[in-house]
Amino acid sequence: MCFSIEEFSVYDGPGIRTSVFLKGCPLRCTWCHNPEGQVYGRQIVRSPNGCIGCNNCIKYAEQTENGPAFTEKSIENCPGGLLRYCGEECEPGELCEKLLKNASILGKVGGVTFSGGEPFAQRDFLFECLGKLKGKMHTAIQTCGYTDADTFRQALTLCDFMLFDIKIMDDDLHRKYTGVSNERILENFIQLKNSGLDFVVRIPLIPGVSDTESNIRQSCEFFKENGVDYVELLPYNKMAGGKYKMLSRSYDPKFDTEAQVHLHPEIFSEYGIKTAVL
Amino acid sequence: MTNLVKAMLEQLKSKEYRKLRSSDPEAQPILYPVELFGFNMGYSERTEYQVGNVTLDYATVITEGFEATKSRILAAKAKHTAPEKLAFADKMLSEIDRMIAISDAHRKLAEDKCPRLFEALGKIPRKGAESFYEACVFIKLINVVLRRRGVQHLGLGRFDQYMMPFWQADLDRGVTKEELFETLEAFFIALNYDSDVYGGMQQGDNGQSMVLGGFDEAGNYLFNDLSKSCMEASLELNLIDPKINLRVGKNTPDEIYVLGTELTKKGLGFPQYCNDDVVIPGLIKLGYDKEDAYNYVVAACWEFIIPGVGADIPNIRTMNFPLMVANAVSEGLVTADSFDDLLALVDKQVIDCCEEFINRKYPDLYDVTASIFIGNCIERLQEMHHGGAKYFNFGCHGAGIANAADALAAIKKCVYEDGTVSKEELLAALEADFEGFEALRNKLKACPKMGNNDNYVDDIATHLMDVFSRNLNNRSNLQGGIWRAGTGSAMEYLLSAAKCPATADGRKAGDVYSSSFSPSLDVKTEGILSVIQSFTKFDMTNIANGGPLTLEIHDTVLRNEIGIAKTAKLVQLFVELGGHQLQLNSINRDVLLDAQKHPENYPNLIVRVWGWSGYFNELDLPYQEHIIRRTHYSL
Repeated sequence: MCFSIEEFSVYDGPGIRTSVFLKGCPLRCTWCHNPEGQVYGRQIVRSPNGCIGCNNCIKYAEQTENGPAFTEKSIENCPGGLLRYCGEECEPGELCEKLLKNASILGKVGGVTFSGGEPFAQRDFLFECLGKLKGKMHTAIQTCGYTDADTFRQALTLCDFMLFDIKIMDDDLHRKYTGVSNERILENFIQLKNSGLDFVVRIPLIPGVSDTESNIRQSCEFFKENGVDYVELLPYNKMAGGKYKMLSRSYDPKFDTEAQVHLHPEIFSEYGIKTAVL
Repeated sequence: MTNLVKAMLEQLKSKEYRKLRSSDPEAQPILYPVELFGFNMGYSERTEYQVGNVTLDYATVITEGFEATKSRILAAKAKHTAPEKLAFADKMLSEIDRMIAISDAHRKLAEDKCPRLFEALGKIPRKGAESFYEACVFIKLINVVLRRRGVQHLGLGRFDQYMMPFWQADLDRGVTKEELFETLEAFFIALNYDSDVYGGMQQGDNGQSMVLGGFDEAGNYLFNDLSKSCMEASLELNLIDPKINLRVGKNTPDEIYVLGTELTKKGLGFPQYCNDDVVIPGLIKLGYDKEDAYNYVVAACWEFIIPGVGADIPNIRTMNFPLMVANAVSEGLVTADSFDDLLALVDKQVIDCCEEFINRKYPDLYDVTASIFIGNCIERLQEMHHGGAKYFNFGCHGAGIANAADALAAIKKCVYEDGTVSKEELLAALEADFEGFEALRNKLKACPKMGNNDNYVDDIATHLMDVFSRNLNNRSNLQGGIWRAGTGSAMEYLLSAAKCPATADGRKAGDVYSSSFSPSLDVKTEGILSVIQSFTKFDMTNIANGGPLTLEIHDTVLRNEIGIAKTAKLVQLFVELGGHQLQLNSINRDVLLDAQKHPENYPNLIVRVWGWSGYFNELDLPYQEHIIRRTHYSL
């Protein structure tokens, strides 16, 4: 199940990418700016702008324990067309056919990036798509690295490129802010490095969480050990909280979202690591 | 940026200079306190629009000087005997004398205030310009005289080509690049001084378009030191004028696209890209000589015209596509047994409309002064609209093509194929402007829409444009020229839309169309790659009147070099796909919404409106709203 397909992604891999966002993620990063990607099933989302307060959506909602839940009828009867399903069941064949429509124009200048959520959360679907696209379009996986070693190993043979997030080196803090240990992630990274596949490492810079001097230093140590000389930095996006409202969820990131993000250019250069800020 | 340039910018931003203008329409052009070129409007009211969308042959006159021009007129006079021709010659001569007199009066003013201008006006306009500076002053003189007469939307044409000899001559004489660049920047600033009083639909719609680059017949890409300097000046100055158009083609070097995209990032709404590979063959098909087609420019917004020799009127009529569909539906849906029957009724509407345009009588245009700078007016002693210009063709906008195709696709699917909507129900919903038919409206909105690279609807658009262009292109306009079909809308995305009832794409009565050749507003497309494919399917050489695919990308896409390089690649893709014209704007909806609430914080916020850029605060509300409603492609 995907929740979005974005053409012309410019920061998700080499060249111009079509990004496919797969639903479901094993992590719960407190700063997540795609909260609709966390849950596996289909959800109804409501755009906050343009509501005229006609209450048609509530009229057609079902009563549940957690309050009213929108239904298909709610979507149909919104005069502003503000409600929609987030998450669409699709067959790999159907999805790839759609992606391949752009194969001729993206052939020389880009490809497809599977993102999420966490693409490995839908392993079978992902692998089937990669198989179908192999040799026809350049493919990339954007991952948090949290999956079992076998799955990861197999993926390395199926795609052309990987965008690998390394968020927090300290395992306790990693658990605190993402809900899981980083042990598997770092192990998978070693596999990636040893595989010879093209990849790029990315660090989301979250103020006071991952942009601390100690985390950047530990990360650089790890990169140095593993021969990484280029890292992409993703400064925290202050708009990240915006989508929670559409899902009727509250945003509780557990850090100061207004704080300045530190890029620590001096530490990276100390370790001889080039960076790009995206 | 030099001190002079800074001072001129400051003067422009303070707007104090405007107080020097007079309310007397006969007042002379004036000098502002910080000055290099002079020849400012002097008159404070916006002039009435008469002749426009014309690009003069500046090169001939500024090179030869008015005395030589007068000799040419006298020589022509000696060859003709018809009294009206001799009278026309005398009118031209007296217009030139009037321009010389204005220049002399100006020279007096400049004596103390601007010695450099004083000195230049001792030579030009009687004699030709030799330096880049003199050439710029000469252009300003010609422009102010014409604008004050109501000749509007005066394009600057291929400035980098016809000004290059002056630029090069200065360099050869030992003038430094820095000095030349200062003059260029000062000239660009000067073009902004009076744009608030130029005629146009809205402030900013003044036609000061400049065309850079372009291929010659041998396939060389003409992009010189001056072309690059114009781009750099525009990047540094952040002003609405001049509006830059880049002529490109499949052999344009990558770095030109990158330079263009850096300018896009500025958010000024230009450059606009014109694809030589499509436009030139398109103009040749319309009967333009090869040499002229290769020399094409954008008149004011996007209209492809020939500078110096043409007097085309590229926006004389508008094909209101959604209205054609609405008429066909209300008159014939009930009796149309198949979708093809309905389509045939739409075709008939379009064809009848073309016939009506062709057989209509149009106002007579006449301008002696502009004729001095156009084609064979002097040699033939004929006014530009009366045989003096080589071309006097009429162009027709094609507004709302996406709404029209979307509406037909929805009917095809819901009424004729799926049978989920009955004809009666649809007609009732359209009649009621969808009040009480919300579910039906959403069903229509969910049908295939143009911009998704979906042939189901794109084929309908192609069909409509084919009918339109086949029934208009190359037909006689009964005034010595032909008709040309296009894809522009100009302000018709509001005006024509206001006349159109509800349409079956779910659009409500009177609701606006998209700008020129773009997906309908509020349609969420698959994305920008699908859009450029949807809008390059038709053979664009058949719609050479112009009218760009307009795309708004979120400014965060262009936040660094990576985004710029990839966006430049996107433009290249569009050109390779055979698109004719692209207007790419960098925009941030949140900024626009905030600017509506707090205009005082955004005095310099610039947006692209249609074929021109303006200050957001100075636009009427419907134009502000239209920009906010466009789809903004983000990451």
